[in-house]
Amino acid sequence: MTTPFNLEIITPAGVFYDGETPNLIVRTTVGDKGILARHEPYIAALPIGIMRVMTEDKKFRKAAISTGTVQVKDNGDTVILVQSCEWCDEIDVERAQAAKERAEERIRDAELSDVQHAIAEFKLKRALNRLGAAE
Amino acid sequence: MAAGNMKTIKRRIKSVGSTKQITKAMELVASSKLRKAKKKEKETRPFFEAQEKMLHEIYRSHSVETEYAKHRGEVKNSLYIVIAGDKGLAGGYNSNVFKKVGEIHGAKPWSPKIFAIGKKAVDYFEKRDFNLVGGRSNIAENIKSGHCSGIARAAIEQFVNGEVDEVKMFYTKFVSSMVQETKVMQLLPLVLPEEYKDENEPGDAGKQEQEAKSKLPPTYDPSPDAVFHRIVPNFIAGLIQSAITESYTSELSARQTAMESASENAEEMIDRLSLLYNRARQEKITNEINEIVGGANAL
Repeated sequence: MTTPFNLEIITPAGVFYDGETPNLIVRTTVGDKGILARHEPYIAALPIGIMRVMTEDKKFRKAAISTGTVQVKDNGDTVILVQSCEWCDEIDVERAQAAKERAEERIRDAELSDVQHAIAEFKLKRALNRLGAAE
Repeated sequence: MAAGNMKTIKRRIKSVGSTKQITKAMELVASSKLRKAKKKEKETRPFFEAQEKMLHEIYRSHSVETEYAKHRGEVKNSLYIVIAGDKGLAGGYNSNVFKKVGEIHGAKPWSPKIFAIGKKAVDYFEKRDFNLVGGRSNIAENIKSGHCSGIARAAIEQFVNGEVDEVKMFYTKFVSSMVQETKVMQLLPLVLPEEYKDENEPGDAGKQEQEAKSKLPPTYDPSPDAVFHRIVPNFIAGLIQSAITESYTSELSARQTAMESASENAEEMIDRLSLLYNRARQEKITNEINEIVGGANAL
């Protein structure tokens, strides 16, 4: 339980986290998945959602992520590749709220193409996730 | 005559001087932005490398059936994503990209669909007889993954619908501050490990494959195919984003070099004009003395 393993969280904006954790819970497309040290090699897709990383003081720190993948390598090192990642305690609620309102307005626009609609929907999901995570 | 000439030269020196000030300022701006862009590129790189590695790993360990990688025989229509700058005055940076488009497309009878990134690219293809299907301006400096996933989504949609048989991307690779290469990259159908194995050392690729086989295959949630198909759009968005970042770095570097040589040329011109000016001034003085002496002698 307490054996730590290496965890790397990488986003297009840079390496978000590179350190050790004894326990990690990610929400995959098929449900929550807990990862401990020496997990078998594993790859899963991640939707927009919440991830929990156990810190040194045995408490989980929540983070809001948007789509990506999690991979446990042969040596147990875990790599999470996501489009964006934020610790829940660092989320800018005002910004998320503004993003949510913008996306809602956009979705109401009837002249959107399918792709534009999908993008707006994605943005709304992401904003809602961040708002939910911050609470 | 001499006085009028002096006035013109003086005016020219002043005008070249102010041009030099502008080029010098642009050079400094470009070099400070270049530093920032290089730093950003470095930060983004690990993500794209890791993503590419994972995609290839899945493809190698499972024979993924994917329409993204299927070739359709004869190519009857293409989508070209062309990345150029938002501003000019960067040497041959913009025109080299456009030249490459013409070169690659060659004399094919159909007109390709163009998605232009950068104001200069949008302007260029709008003015000419091209099938411009979309464009984005002013995104390169503060590029976000959102911009790129939108572009990637649109490109994938066109490819899957059968509107186009291939998607190619034109960008400028940053080799060094002196050398930037215009490149073309095929995005769809996906270029997967098998296809570019011969580019690598044959022994190297074989070894890699063996390594992959000897390893325990990972467990996938929900399935290798599903994970693979989820990654592809992100992967293509990633390729676009890194190409834009790289092109932007190249643009700044090209601008810096162009402005540096423009400043140097201006300097040279000022030197030459000063020489002319001094010569004209001396001539005028000599003339005046001659006139005075001549006048005195006549008395």
